[in-house]
Amino acid sequence: MKKMVIRLFGIAVVITALMGIVPAEQVLADEVIKIGWIADMGGIAASFYKSQKDGIEMFIEETNATGGFMGKKLELVIRDADLKADVGANLARELILNEKCEYLIGPTSSAVALAATKVAKEFKKIIFFHTSNTEKLTTTDFHPYMFQVVPNTGIEGRGIAYFLAQKPYKNYGYIGLDYAYGHDQHDAFKESLLKTNPNAKITVEVWPKTGESNYGSYIPTLMAQNPEVIYSSLWGGALSTFIKQAAPYGLFKKTTLSSLYDLDMLRAMGQEMPENLMGYTRCPFYAVDTPQMKAFVDKFSKKFNDWPADWAIMAYDGLLALKKAVDTAGSTDSEKVSKALDGLKWTSLRGERYIRAEDHMANVGIYVGVTAKDPKFKDFLVLKDVVEVPAEKVWMSVDEIKAQRAKNPQ
Amino acid sequence: MNLQFMLFILINGLSQGMVLFIIASGLSLVFGVLRVINFAHGSLYMIGAFMAFSLSSLFAGKTLFAFLMLMLLVPPGVAILGLGLEVSLFRRIYRKEHLLQLLLTYSLVLILDGLTRLIWGGQIRNVPRPEVLAGSLDLFGLYFPSYNLFLLIVGPLLAAGLWVLLYRSRAGNYIRAAVTYPEMLGALGVNVPRVMTWTFMLGCFLAGLGGVFMSALANIDLSIGMERIIECFAVVVIGGLGSVGGAMLGSLIIGVGVAFIQIYFSRMALVFPYVIMALVLIIRPWGLFGKPER
Repeated sequence: MKKMVIRLFGIAVVITALMGIVPAEQVLADEVIKIGWIADMGGIAASFYKSQKDGIEMFIEETNATGGFMGKKLELVIRDADLKADVGANLARELILNEKCEYLIGPTSSAVALAATKVAKEFKKIIFFHTSNTEKLTTTDFHPYMFQVVPNTGIEGRGIAYFLAQKPYKNYGYIGLDYAYGHDQHDAFKESLLKTNPNAKITVEVWPKTGESNYGSYIPTLMAQNPEVIYSSLWGGALSTFIKQAAPYGLFKKTTLSSLYDLDMLRAMGQEMPENLMGYTRCPFYAVDTPQMKAFVDKFSKKFNDWPADWAIMAYDGLLALKKAVDTAGSTDSEKVSKALDGLKWTSLRGERYIRAEDHMANVGIYVGVTAKDPKFKDFLVLKDVVEVPAEKVWMSVDEIKAQRAKNPQ
Repeated sequence: MNLQFMLFILINGLSQGMVLFIIASGLSLVFGVLRVINFAHGSLYMIGAFMAFSLSSLFAGKTLFAFLMLMLLVPPGVAILGLGLEVSLFRRIYRKEHLLQLLLTYSLVLILDGLTRLIWGGQIRNVPRPEVLAGSLDLFGLYFPSYNLFLLIVGPLLAAGLWVLLYRSRAGNYIRAAVTYPEMLGALGVNVPRVMTWTFMLGCFLAGLGGVFMSALANIDLSIGMERIIECFAVVVIGGLGSVGGAMLGSLIIGVGVAFIQIYFSRMALVFPYVIMALVLIIRPWGLFGKPER
C-alpha cells in the first residue's frame, strides 16, 4: 500500500514537471502566426482535403524554412466542418477567438464558405477561398477581408458555355445535383450558352439528389433526347460514379460529356475514364506551362511521391498571394494585409496574376480540353489541347457586381 | 418514344430493382423474423462493399474468377460481423419497444460508419467490373450494360434460393415458426436464440452480397449505406415484412416505376417510392405480400 502511494506520488511529480515544460514552450511560441483552416475532411470532399493539406503544409514548411512571415513562424490549425455550414461558422469563431488565428483558409463546401465568411467579416480577419467557389462570396456576400483564388461558379458556368458555344452543337442535355451549386451552374451555363449561340437548346435536364450513387434511371432519360453534349455540374465522386455507370450504356459513343475533370476525379476513374470528352478543370499541373509550376511539381512529387491536384495548387497559390501582401504591407496584421491584397499583383504558379480590387476575385480562368491518354501518366487520363478561358472574358463585370450587391444589401 | 425504347426502359428498370432487392431482402428477413428495425443494415451493406474493394485490390484482376471470389468471401465476412453484433447487442432488444431498437441500431450506424472511416478512409472507391461483364450488349439497337443483365439473372436466382431455403428446408421451417410461435418452437426442443442468430446472419449475408454487387455497379463511399437504407425500408413496407416475394415485388415496382417516371416527369421520380409506400400503408398496411398482425 505504502509503495503504491509513493509510486502515485512519483507519477504526480513527473506529470507536474511535464506540465511545467509546456508553458515554457508557449513563451517561445509567441512569435508564431496562426493560420486557421476550416476544412471539409470527409464524404465527397475527402480526396480534396488530402490534396489541399499537402499543398498548404508544403507552403508552411517552405515559408518557415526561409523566415516565415516577417520573421514569425507559421502554424496551421485545422478543424473539420464536415460540410456543415453551422459547424463551419462555429469553428471560424473558435479559430479566431480561442486559437488567435490571424488568417483563415476556407473549406471545400460553398455552404460552409458562406457561413465562415460572415464570421471573418465580423472579426475583420482575412479569409482565403481556394476550393469553395460560389459566386456569392465575391458578389452579394462580399467583404473587404475575403479573397478568392479559385474560378467561381460564374466563371466556370459561363466559361464552359463560352467554349462550347463556339462549336456547332445545338442539342444540349444537363445533369446536376439538386442543390444550390447545381442550380447556380445551370443558370450561369444556360444564360451564357443561349447568349452566344441562340440556336442551342437544352432539351433534357435531370436532377439527381445529393449523394445519389446509382444513376441507372437517369442515364436512359438523357439518352431519350439524343443530346450532342451533356453539360454536368456533378463533381468529384458523383461525377466518376455517373461516368462509370453511363459508359456501358454507350452514352459517350454519341454524346460528349462536359464537366469538371480535376486531377482527383481523373485519378479516381483511372483507365476507365472515356477518351475524347470535352471538359474543364480549375488548375491542371500538367498543362500550366510556367517555370514556377515546374519547380512546384518537382518539389511536390518528390515530397509526397504523388502529383499535385488542382486543390493543392490553388491553396498554395492563395498563400503565395498572402505572403506577397504581408511583405508589401510590412505587417502581419489582417487589416493592413487586406489593404495590400486589394488589387495585388503576384507571381502565382499559374504565372503573373492579380486580385481585382472591386470583388477580390483573382483573374483565374478555367482550363478546357479533351480527355486523352498520356504516356507520362500510366494510371489516369489527362486533358489534352488545353486552353485557358481567361477570367476577364467571362467574369461578372464590376457594374453587374454592383447591381447584384444593390439588389441584396447586407 | 418507340416501342423498342420503352422495352429498353422496362428492362433497365428491372435490373435497377434487382440491386435493391438483394439488399432489401435481408432487411425484410430481419425485420420480419426478429421484429427489429435494423437501421444498421445499410452500414453492413456498405462494409460489404468496402470489403469487396479491399479484396478486389488483393486479387488485382478483372477476371470473372476474382469477382466470384468476392461473391463467395465477402457475404460470409459480413455475416460473421453480424454474428458478433447479434450475440453482443441485438439479442438483447428483440421484442423490446421500437424506440429502444431505433436508438441502438442508429447508434450502431454511427459506430460502424466511424469504423469504416477509420479502416478505409473517406475516399471514394470503386471495384472494377470483371472483363466479361464490363461491356455492353446490343438490346434493340441500343447499348445495355452486360453487368445489368448479369444482375437480372442473379436477382431471381437468389430469390429462388431464398424461397427454397425458407419454404423447403428444415432451417426455413424453424425460421418461419420463430416468427409466429417462438414459445412452441422452443418447447419442441429447438434452440430458438440460435435460429434467431442464424436469421440475423443470413440478413447480414444478403447485405454483404448487395455490397459486392453495388461496388461494381457504382462507386462507393461512406454515404452509400444511409442513402440505400431508406429506399429499402420503402421496399419492405410495400412488399410486406419478412416476405421475400414481397421484397422482390416492391423492388421491381420501385425500379420500373422510377425508370418510367424519370423519363416523363423527371422531378417526380424521387418521391415515387414514398408515394407508393404511403398508398400501401393506407390501403394494405401489412404490405402487398405480408400478413396482417395477429
